[in-house]
Amino acid sequence: MASMKIKYTKTERARQKKILKVSERMLPLFEAMEKSLMSTILTISERIDQIRAAIEKNQKAAEPWIAVMGDAWVDVAQFISVNDTITRPVVVAGIRVQQFERVDFMEMPVGEDTPLWVDDAILLMREQLQLMSEIRCLEEQIILLEEELLEVRARVKLFENRRIPNAKTAIRKIGQKLQDDERLTIATAKVVKTGAKRR
Amino acid sequence: MCSLPSLSFGQSPPIKLEEFTSIAKSQLSAKSYKMLEQVSIQYMENNSKKGKLKSVTALLDDLQQDLSEIRKARAQNRQPRPAQLPGSVLEENPLDREKQMMQWQWEKLDAIESGKTFTFNEVIVYKLKLQLLWRLHSFNAERGAQVLASVVNPAERKED
Repeated sequence: MASMKIKYTKTERARQKKILKVSERMLPLFEAMEKSLMSTILTISERIDQIRAAIEKNQKAAEPWIAVMGDAWVDVAQFISVNDTITRPVVVAGIRVQQFERVDFMEMPVGEDTPLWVDDAILLMREQLQLMSEIRCLEEQIILLEEELLEVRARVKLFENRRIPNAKTAIRKIGQKLQDDERLTIATAKVVKTGAKRR
Repeated sequence: MCSLPSLSFGQSPPIKLEEFTSIAKSQLSAKSYKMLEQVSIQYMENNSKKGKLKSVTALLDDLQQDLSEIRKARAQNRQPRPAQLPGSVLEENPLDREKQMMQWQWEKLDAIESGKTFTFNEVIVYKLKLQLLWRLHSFNAERGAQVLASVVNPAERKED
């Protein structure tokens, strides 16, 4: 405030009143946006937790037979890998993000002499890779939404702590100065009038 | 054969495959050794479908046909009808199923070598059983978990 330079004019007072009006109208909008972003981030985090639980559940279900994946005869990694993660753009809480659709897998056909457990392992890996890809997409969404949240919070703070108080102070000071000037003008006019009468 | 340790299903392999191969190389004729090299419980070359290797090839063919039948049944969403493998195999988890199949192969190998003591057949069966034991030995939960993690989360693997 100390460094704020104010022009003590009626035009400036009108300008500051306009700034105050706009700021008071914008603040609730930014506050609502902040709430919406926070709630969306929370929902996405909960979804990530759910997917992590599903991954854990699959892992637990595979525990009794996971030893077979150590099979010296088979390199199961060559049978399946992620080619691409297919997403589509959607608008979440006003932000354009990529939503997970599906995973495009690169799969090598299982030969007749391939051990049967490989089929089960491929199914498990498919499921886990799909869930992991979905988590990655959701984490990217959170990064974008958190960036936006930071900006919105900065704006809320700007309106709450700078723009609105500054405008109010400016309006008050300009008002006082204009009143003082008016009084001074009247007083001067009276002195001039009295002087003229005496003469 | 007498100098080789005896093998039983489920035990830790008492001898390395390389050691067995080097002993066999020193004891067998070049022709027999070449034939022994061709034999594997994992796969058989097409030219091994006759002579002494016929019964082993038949064993592998039977297994392959049953695996094909199980895979077909899964694709068609019906109950599989394996011709050779015991039905109980289908109810097990993938690890136990693999072990049961290997035990079935072991028993078939027992049948192949029965009554053929000190013959080349016995040497072939010994090699196949040793391969089965080494494969069984490779079924390791820690290693399996690593393999799964390396596929599901390759980034973590690179970081390690």
